[in-house]
Amino acid sequence: MEPRWAQTGRDGPDDDDWGQQQPPSSLFLQLPSNATLRFRGNVAKAWGAALDEGEPPGAPQERDGEGAREQESVPLKQLPLCMAEKRILRLREQRVAWKRSRWEQWQVGMRHLWGQVRGALLYAQVWRGSLHRIEGHFGTGIQSYFNFLRFLVLLNLGGALLMVGFVVAPNAAFEGLQLNQTQRGQNSMVNRSCLQYDPTERGLVSYFTYLMDLLSGTGFMELTHLFYGYYQNSAVDFVGFSYNIPLAYLLSVLGYFSVCLLWILHRAVHLLKRSLVGENWELSTYSHKVFAGWDFCLAPGTAAAMKHNSLRYELRMDLEEQTLRRLMAQRSPGQRLALFSLRGALNLLVLGLLGAAFYGVYRATEYSQRAQQDTSPGQQGLVLGLLVAYLPSIVITAANQLVPLAFGLLVRLERYPLSLEIRLTLLRTVFLRLSSLLVLLFSLWTQITCHGDPAADSCRICHYNHQQHPCWETSVGQEMYKLLVFDLLVLLLVLLLVEFPRKLLVTHGPAPLARLLGQQEFLVPPNVLDLVYSQTVCWVGTAFSPLLPLLHAAKFILFFYLKKLTLFSNCRPADRTFRASISSFFFLLVLLLGLAIAWVPLLYSVFVLQPSQACGPFRGEPTMWSTLWVAIDTLPLVAREFLQFVGSLAFAVPLFLLLCILMFYLMALDHSYSCLVKELKGQLRLEGQDKVFLVTQITELS
Amino acid sequence: MPRAGRRRPVGGVAVGRCPGDGDLRRGGRKRRGEGPGRSRGSWSGAAMGGSASQLPRDLLDEYQELTFLTKQEILLAHKRFSELLPKEERESILLKRVPKSKILTLPELRANPFQDRICRVFSTAEDGDGSMSFEDFLDLLSVFSDSATVEIKSHYAFRIFDFDDDGILDRKDLEKLVNCLTGEGDETRLSESEMDQLIQNILEESDIDKDGTINLSEFQHVISRSPDFASSFKIVL
Repeated sequence: MEPRWAQTGRDGPDDDDWGQQQPPSSLFLQLPSNATLRFRGNVAKAWGAALDEGEPPGAPQERDGEGAREQESVPLKQLPLCMAEKRILRLREQRVAWKRSRWEQWQVGMRHLWGQVRGALLYAQVWRGSLHRIEGHFGTGIQSYFNFLRFLVLLNLGGALLMVGFVVAPNAAFEGLQLNQTQRGQNSMVNRSCLQYDPTERGLVSYFTYLMDLLSGTGFMELTHLFYGYYQNSAVDFVGFSYNIPLAYLLSVLGYFSVCLLWILHRAVHLLKRSLVGENWELSTYSHKVFAGWDFCLAPGTAAAMKHNSLRYELRMDLEEQTLRRLMAQRSPGQRLALFSLRGALNLLVLGLLGAAFYGVYRATEYSQRAQQDTSPGQQGLVLGLLVAYLPSIVITAANQLVPLAFGLLVRLERYPLSLEIRLTLLRTVFLRLSSLLVLLFSLWTQITCHGDPAADSCRICHYNHQQHPCWETSVGQEMYKLLVFDLLVLLLVLLLVEFPRKLLVTHGPAPLARLLGQQEFLVPPNVLDLVYSQTVCWVGTAFSPLLPLLHAAKFILFFYLKKLTLFSNCRPADRTFRASISSFFFLLVLLLGLAIAWVPLLYSVFVLQPSQACGPFRGEPTMWSTLWVAIDTLPLVAREFLQFVGSLAFAVPLFLLLCILMFYLMALDHSYSCLVKELKGQLRLEGQDKVFLVTQITELS
Repeated sequence: MPRAGRRRPVGGVAVGRCPGDGDLRRGGRKRRGEGPGRSRGSWSGAAMGGSASQLPRDLLDEYQELTFLTKQEILLAHKRFSELLPKEERESILLKRVPKSKILTLPELRANPFQDRICRVFSTAEDGDGSMSFEDFLDLLSVFSDSATVEIKSHYAFRIFDFDDDGILDRKDLEKLVNCLTGEGDETRLSESEMDQLIQNILEESDIDKDGTINLSEFQHVISRSPDFASSFKIVL
């Protein structure tokens, strides 16, 4: 089949854009830019012709001296040749090999070893077989969710290692070995009422109190390593040096956050390495969908048929959207005004819904905390007590499930193009989930600091509300613990009571009902937002509950197996596939947002709030950060001066200015690069026309 | 007498064609094919369920150097390939070719709309019937493996998508490509106008020198910007 420009005498629809010359195809096919012809496997003559010339095209030339060294730069496996060709080149290389110096031989050996190590590491990834199976049946979109889940498990295990290694294990060891602990902190000038803290139950305790305590983290659970309140403000003399417990606690929490940040950034950069290179990466959507659209790892069966359907659906939707956009651009100003006012009104409605949800969370938290303090748990029944304790979690979960449904309905009225609709709904849902957590924390803060008023009655003595929260850090940790437990319970309940019955109904129930319900679809974005929300809860709570990363790692491992079970038993692949990699980057972006949100309460508690006097490793200190200053004072003079300088404004302001200058420089560089790329594209067009013209002239003259 | 250390193809370097059925190796490999009685050289693959087919260690090393596959992947490929051969031919696995129809029974390729093109591109048979030898099979797995570079994947993707083998992707190639993607059968194809619009969009995005076709460098340029090409262009046994 001849290319378009070789069709003689036929008028194509856009003739003035493409070259109209009619050069013979044979000459064009000999040009170097059509080099792939030389690699044709079934055109044996091409192979033979290439070999007779002494070197296959694309292979490195054999030269003496530095030319031989250049051969190293292209490893043989990267050449697009068949095996026998590569073997010939390898023999040629080996003949040259004895000329190489010892250094180069060592380099080659190292590279070989590194290749072996990488191969072994790739094979040793955890859950590799499961992910491969999921990919084969459901495609890479759903596999990206499980990839993300695996990443979170590893992140939490790493964080748990850090926290357990520096905080929990030393404390347990010190208690076990009954080492000498020297108390720190000035306790003498403190009002006695601030020091009262006794969470254990006295007297006759009914059995279900223990169950309630286990589920809500109160009572006997408060006096375990799980919560902040158990740790002592002491230094332990241990093998020649003194292990300062509060300092270790503070530094390991800050270290944990930094490690998480670096790990996530590393993974995000790794994923983005390719896609950020092009200047407008959004503008190649059609080519990407067609050239990279098929998942080559799909196993035969329904998955392949579904993939065909979803590709067709996606292409059709995009083409429709394109025509819609063209129509939209031609709207009259009156129509536009009407549309904008409609969108404004709907956005206000969305804000109203969000406000209502936040207010509900705020009141629920307030009521729950007050009810827990006022009545002792023994007076209420088990179920009622649990309901009161879990009220904030229930309200948050209900809001997270119901409000996005309303968003989905509203966004359809706004008449955006489909892709924008999906993104807008997603953004609003993300905002809802992360903000509801912030509102919960805000509600706790108002109770702990009496609405930020240090002169209020309850807060005057101890600078925090010591009657309601004798150990306020543990209260915060308890709320996070309850969110964790409730999340897991909800997953189990939904699995048992919603997904499995639905599948049973669809397969064995009456036909109209089955058609109405339809089989469950595994939607990736809401599931990923669930994971991000859980991880944010973990981050917020780690400072107040050191074992929380470990519990979250266990929870995510359970999640993996349960979700895999429900995927294979109950679900079918989604109709509209979410592009795997852009979405991977989107997940990491939302995760970073969650991390940024988690930094806020941490920094506030560390720098501003006064730690509880009655419990915890910072009792008696004015703030948590002051332990660090005290420790710095014990360092030698040079280190102390250096650290004080780094922390002062004289360092921060010039650094900020320098970063601003760097940013402006990079923006200017980026602008000049895009100008250069535009110029080069124009030149390529001219070259193409030149080529066609010249070849025509050559054939006419010959 | 047996030169286990240095291998030399019998015919020297300039053979003149890409050997389809191992005639290049016949002289050099005959020593190795002589039964398991030899104590020289180590044999690997003995753990593959007790089958008689084994790969000599230096051949394994060579394959590891010339492809992107790890040792385990090569051995697994060896096992799967020998299952495609009839029992009596499994001894001389390196010399045999498997016809295309049998290759397409592999579950990894069975559901693939590009199965014909893949076999044709990777096969080195002189008569172009698409039959594959073991080394062709390894080449295929190497290009589709996890560790292959994007450059080599895009090179072979271009060749697979070039249905008429003329070195460029023109309108007809793109039409056939889209039809493969949307499925077999008349009711699954896009309409005429939709197809025209789609191909117009693709050429607008990818054709840099505006000659109405996409050549290899333009294809590689567009593909290198696609973030999920490497993860979708993958076949793992």
